[in-house]
This record gives sequence, structure tokens and C-alpha cells, in this order.
Amino acid sequence: MKQIIQLDVNDEVHEIAVQPYDSLLRALRETLGLNASKRGCDSGGCGCCTVLLDGKAVYSCMTMAMQVKDRKVTTVEGLGKVAGLDPIQQAFIDADAVQCGYCTCGIMMAAKQLLAENPNPDEDAIRKGISGNLCRCTGYQKIIEAIQLASER
Amino acid sequence: MTQLNVVGKSVVRPDAYDKVTGGKHYPVNYSLPGMLHGKLLRSPYPHAKIVAIDTSEAEKLPGVKAVITHADVPQNVFTPVYFVPAHAKSMVQDFVVMSDRVRWAGQPVAAVAATSADVAEAALQLIDVEYEELQPVFDPEEAMKEGAPQLHDNAPNNIAKAPSFSFGDLEAGFAEADHIFEGVYQTQRVHTCYMEPRVCVVDSETDGRITVHSSMQHGFGLREKMAVALGIPESKVNVVKPTYIGGGFGGKLDVGHIEPVAALLSLETGRPVRIEHTRGEDFIATTRNPIKVYLKTGVKNDGAYTARYIKSILDAGAHATHGAEVIMVHGLYGTFFPWKCPNQTWEGFSVYTNNIIGGGYRGYGAPQGCFAVESQNDEICEKLGLDPIEFRSGNTHKEGDPHPVLQGHTLNSYRLDDCLKKGAERIGFDRRAPANSSEGAKKRGIGFACHPLWVSGCLGFPDIYEHSGATVKLNRDGTADVVSSCIDLGSGQITMLTQVVAEELGLASEAVRVVYADTDTAPFDAPTHASRATYSAGLATKAAAVETRNRLFKAASAVMEANPGDLYLEDGKVLVKGAPDSGVPITEITARAESAFVQMTEEGPRLTTIEEKGTIIGSASQAPPSNPSPVAAQFVEVEVDTDTGEVKVLHVVHAADAGRVFHPKAAEGQVEGGFQQGMGYALMEHLQFDQDTGACLSSDFLDYKIPTSMEMPPKIESIFVESNEPTGPYGAKSMSELCLIIPAAAIANAVYNAIGVRVTELPITPERVLRALGKL
Repeated sequence: MKQIIQLDVNDEVHEIAVQPYDSLLRALRETLGLNASKRGCDSGGCGCCTVLLDGKAVYSCMTMAMQVKDRKVTTVEGLGKVAGLDPIQQAFIDADAVQCGYCTCGIMMAAKQLLAENPNPDEDAIRKGISGNLCRCTGYQKIIEAIQLASER
Repeated sequence: MTQLNVVGKSVVRPDAYDKVTGGKHYPVNYSLPGMLHGKLLRSPYPHAKIVAIDTSEAEKLPGVKAVITHADVPQNVFTPVYFVPAHAKSMVQDFVVMSDRVRWAGQPVAAVAATSADVAEAALQLIDVEYEELQPVFDPEEAMKEGAPQLHDNAPNNIAKAPSFSFGDLEAGFAEADHIFEGVYQTQRVHTCYMEPRVCVVDSETDGRITVHSSMQHGFGLREKMAVALGIPESKVNVVKPTYIGGGFGGKLDVGHIEPVAALLSLETGRPVRIEHTRGEDFIATTRNPIKVYLKTGVKNDGAYTARYIKSILDAGAHATHGAEVIMVHGLYGTFFPWKCPNQTWEGFSVYTNNIIGGGYRGYGAPQGCFAVESQNDEICEKLGLDPIEFRSGNTHKEGDPHPVLQGHTLNSYRLDDCLKKGAERIGFDRRAPANSSEGAKKRGIGFACHPLWVSGCLGFPDIYEHSGATVKLNRDGTADVVSSCIDLGSGQITMLTQVVAEELGLASEAVRVVYADTDTAPFDAPTHASRATYSAGLATKAAAVETRNRLFKAASAVMEANPGDLYLEDGKVLVKGAPDSGVPITEITARAESAFVQMTEEGPRLTTIEEKGTIIGSASQAPPSNPSPVAAQFVEVEVDTDTGEVKVLHVVHAADAGRVFHPKAAEGQVEGGFQQGMGYALMEHLQFDQDTGACLSSDFLDYKIPTSMEMPPKIESIFVESNEPTGPYGAKSMSELCLIIPAAAIANAVYNAIGVRVTELPITPERVLRALGKL
């Protein structure tokens, strides 16, 4: 049975109907049409769906939509647009950290939490910060450089 | 080398902006109004006959719009591999989209289209399938024995294909040898792990035409295979090129079940149908074929090869598909021709089993070969006390040698010796200690491997498509649009195409856009695979851009009253040679070319000329002139914990001759990502199957571990030994597969150097290390 909930995504409150078993990822992608958060596995294994929940990075595929009512969800749609990119977005471009890009949005959200809590992380902290996110193209090296670059700016 | 303005620079990737702001153009995001959702029912048995299927209960479920089984699917038999014709003689035709004979656990046996994915999933539970179980066989060597269960009627002893090559006198070669080395090297089944799942949306028209959107590596291949699978003309299938896809690595190089099934469901319902794989379905879609290599090599005391016998047994799984070609490439480019040995015989066997199907995966048969040959080379050097770098150098080709496979072609650019030398210097190979000489439980080791022959495309391979095309159009605002069917998998094909066009038209790379393409409107291109895009699609796009430039000069010559041959481009202007102040902006030429014949101005009517009129456009479609070999050597330092068996990679140096490097940062990215996949192959990745049912036990990334940021080494260094490949675009050839072909061998050799014991079966897990050390 669907229930109506209020979902605060990127400072906009949406009233949507969800099934009790619907994940936040599903609500974002299929109900709200916010496609930046990607499905890579649906089981908390890849991190492509990572969003911020009250500033903390979570897997939106492992978070029930019903659980997040009255909390703030931030997705890549809530970061910068091309006209005014968030420093993390610009750093990913400048470091050539984006190949296929499917993991990029999730990793940027993990990096957002990391940089919010630790503005000058060393390499080890960055590696730990993104260790819940898989990338199959880059070997992570340029992603780590991008996060370093963003922290320096 | 010529002075270049755009090629060779790490320009910003045009697609990066899109991808950091959400990446809206992935096929996974595609949706149409009224779209239905399809799901596949899969067999739990590895080998069975379907006696009956009852779909009546599923059809009654509200929301279900269509259910199909093998009875609704044309029983057309073909090869699903994109890069060859569906009935290529050199391949094996044994695949139908749905059959009443099950040959692997997970094979689709029915499909549902419903108003939501949940309803479709629920409907699958209501389909009643009656199976008659057959005896399965999972081990290829068992499958080759007399009396083993037979999978396909026309393949005695389950041998799908058994190619062989030979030259010289093997017996005499072994007789001449001072030493003979024998070994068996086994590799495992792994998945490419593209991050975007296989997904498609197929729509149909009332006249039977279908339009396909899919996350795949070859639009024209998909068009052809859809037409053959459905038994309709190719012109009835339009495949839209995805703007980009979320990774492929060879794993999206054949028509899966989803596209033809979605088409049939769409034709039946008259509505668009979307099917998306779960990660568990992706793991059983296509995989790297395991190969067992029996290797016997004769050498002189000084390390010169005298003879080599190689037998390779490839586990094709239930259908040959790529397994019929992987075995060939493994033989030709993975084991036989890379090395100079006067007497050689190679025998390959691609063998059917009730395992899941193999497939394309970056490196395509060569990682399995390199692991075997380079492991044994290391054993030879160790045993005979030879300098391992001189040994490689002495047994490989040299620049200017005839191409060992392609008759009439030459190894024009070939700097393996430089790669070996520079890689060794950078890692400090001279500090390498004898095997197992470090103190304590954690032992360090340095190892390396190289791969002396690879491809830049498929020129010369029987039946494999190898041509590319492009159209380049100049716009009135001074920008250029490129129509190309070359798909960007993430490795930077969009960027490469813009660099080529910008270079030829004297534009900034930001002024060039790669635009919409589909199989109805764009020229053919072979897939993005086999390290071919920069070399082959790059050359064709360069040719199209040259046509465009010629057309521009023709129009400009009318405007500027100069000979077209005296014109050149610089900074967005057309200039006359010898008159640097003569420049007319390209925008003015294109504006006049596209303007009305009589232009009204403040001063009254101004006449333009007929000669300058017409869209400034050029196109080309061509095969590349050759298939130059990139080469590379890779050095790694590892630490092996002899208490836990864990292997940690500490440092990597990859030295490559890729010809001219188009985009240094992207090239490094290829090396770094390639190493990650190679390290996963070497140390951790292994799809697991139930020993009795053949069912894949790896359903997601919790069961199938790939390297995260924590496992990756702190530093992967790339060295590009830039040679000039005279047949390539601006001197370029290929680079993106060797970086994954070599790591398993390099890491295995470093592990040996650390602990003095060799592991000859991948992956080199802690358990295998401890076993090798006699601790288990």
C-alpha cells in the first residue's frame, strides 16, 4: 500500500507516494526524475547511488524512502550547475578524474562529506573516505588527485 | 614530428561537465511515455530440456501485458558477437535468443512485460516450467572426454573450435635445447564490472520498424544481430548511438537476451519496453573465458628459445560466441607470435561446458597467455641465472622487422627495449634482491612482465569488421559538428574525435561537438573494442575533417580570390600563404556559404558567388592502412605477508610505446584503470559457482570483490616512450589493453621474487599463497 510522504531533496520539499519497500534511490530516480544518483548494484556494494542524508553519505539503494522523511537529502543535482560548479565538480574535471562517469556522482557526494568534516585530508583519509565507492575505469588515482585539488582550493 | 595545437594536449573532456552535474545521457536514464518493464525468467538448472511452460497464471496478473517463451521467439541460429557478421564462417553459430534446451544455469526461458518492474517480477513467479534435467559437465577437460554429456549436436567431444598454428621443426627444436621447461598455468572466470548495467529500451512502429536504445559498444553490430535474431531486414532496425555509456571493457560487445526480447515484447504490445539487468544478471551475461595453458619451452644456455609447444584449453561455457575468437586471439597475439621462437606449435581448444558464456573483455585472450608465458620466462631466467631484461629483449621483435602476423606489414614503431629500460630504471630494478631474501614475515619482491605484440584494431583478422566513418560539418558560428558512430565507453573517444577535428580545422577543441548519430543516418563504424578507436576512427574522422577543410578552402578561394592550394588555417581564420595579414574568419566564409545569394546590406544589395555556396561539410568512410602493435613493460613491487598470505602492491611502473600520445592525462587514466582491473584479476576476482548446480554464487559486489581505493597501490606511474607510428593519426597507435594484459604476470613474478615460490593459478589469493608456502 503506497503512502504519501514529504521528501526534502536539495532544499525542495516533494510530496510523493511510495511503497514501504521503495528505496530512496527509487524515489529519487523513478518518482522525482533525479537521475544523478545511479543504480550500480542495488545492494550497497558499489556506491554509485551515494547521496547525503543530513550531510552524511549514505547508499540511497539501502535507505528506505520512508526512513528519510523530515531529513535533508542532497544529491548531485543540489551541487553546482555548469554556470557555477561546486569546487569538487570543477576539481573532478580539472584532474581528468571522470572517465565513464557512472560512479562520479556517488564519489563526489562521499567526497563532500569527507571535505566537510576534514577540509585538509591526507591521501590516506581520502582513500578511506571513498573506500565505499567503486570505480572501474580510473584506478582511483585521478579521483584522489581531484579531491586533493578541491581541498586545496 | 609535426607541430600540433590540440593533439597531444590534455584538453578538458567535453562530456565531463555533463557527467559531474548528473550525467543525464546514460542509456540507463532513457525512458519513453507508456513504457513497459520487462523481466526474464531464468533456468535454475545448468542442463535440461523444457518439457512444458504454463504462462496462463502470469498472464492473468493485473498489469501484465505480454508473456513470451521460446515458442514465441524465432529459432534463428547465429553468432551474437557484434564485430563479425552473424553467420561468419570463422565463428561458430550456436546461439538462439530463447530455446527449449537449457545449457547453463541462468539461461532465460521466458519473459514478461508489465506496467512496472515489480509486477513483471511478480509475474515471473507465476510461470510454471517443467524441466527434464540432463547431466551437466563443468570442467572443459572432462567435457572433451568420450562419454561426456554433449551440449551441441555438431560439436563432438564438446569442441566448439580447435585452431592450431605451427612452424619450424618442434622435435628438432627441443632436441637442440640445453634446457626444457614445462608448466601449467590456469586462469579464472571474471567479469568486466562495467558500472552501468546492461539496459535497453526498444520501441516499435506499426510497420514493424524498431528503435533501440541500449548500453552497448556497437550500434551497427546490434542492428545486424537484432535483424537476424528477429528475422527482419536490417533497415527495419534503428539503433540510436548512446551519447556515452557507463563502461563496457568488452562486456557489452554482443547482443544479449534483453534487446531482442524487449523488441518482441514491444512488437506484441505496441508499447516501448525497457529491460535492465540486475547486477547478478550482469555477472552471468558475459565473462572472461578461463584458459588453462600447457606450456613447454626449450632454451639454449644463453636464453635463446629453440622450441615451444603450447596447448590452450578455453572454457567457452554454454555457447561459443566470443570463445570462438578469444581462443584465436589468445593463440595469435597472446602466446604464439609475440615471441621469436624458431620452432613453435600452438593448439587451441574452445570447449563447451554447462558454465555461463564467456565473452569479450579488454585484452581478449592475452592476459591468460601473458600470465603463462611471462611466468615461465621468469622461471627460465631464475633457473639459468639470466638477466631477465636481456632475455626478453633477445627473444622479441625489433623496430623495422616484418609484422609477424600481417604479411606485407612492418613493425614501423616498436620500442619494447626502451620500455624495458626506462621501466627498470624508474622502479630501481637493479636493487632487486634474490628471491625470498627479505627478513621477517612481510617479504618484498620486485617483478616485471612485458607483452611484445598487440593490436590497434582488427585489420587482418578473418571476418572482423574494421572500417570507420564520420561526417564533419562547419557551422556558421565557427563551430564544427562531428557525426560518428564511435561510442565513448569512458575511455575518451568523444575527446579524441574533437581533438582530431579541431586540429585539422584550426579550431579550439571546445569549438567541436560530437553530435547525435544513429544507424539510420550515420556512417558505419566497427565497435569500440580491440584498442581501435583512436587509430581507426581517428584516421577516418581526420579524413572527413580534411574533406571539410578542402570544401572550406574552395569557398574561401572564391571569397578571397586566391588559389585553394595557397590557403591555410590558423586561429579560426583562413589565410593566404605568405600574407599573414590576409586572414578572413572561418565564420565569415561559412556565413557566406550558407547565406542567400543576394544579401541586403546598409549599402544596398551585395551579390555573393555561386562558387562559395553550400554547406561546408566533409565525410569519409575507410579502413585503416595497417594494424600497428603497441608494446609495453610493467614493473611492480609487492609485499607478501607470509603469515596471512596477503599480497599488497606497493608501486607500479608501466612503460608503454603507444606512438604519439593524444591526451596525456587520459592515457595515464587508461594505465591506472587498466592496472586496477589487472590487479583484481591477479589477486582477488573470481566468479564463484555452485559445484552441483552451476549457479553463479556471485550476485553483487559484496560477493565479488574488486579493488577499492584501499587495495590500490599508492602509486601507478606511466611512462610513455613516444614513437612515431607513420600509419597512425599524428603518429598514434593504441594503448588501452596492454595495461591490463600484463599485470597478472608482473604481479605473479613479483610474488615469486618476494617468497621464492610460484603461484601458477589465478587469482593469487591469501589461501593460495599460504598453500604455496606449505602453511595450509
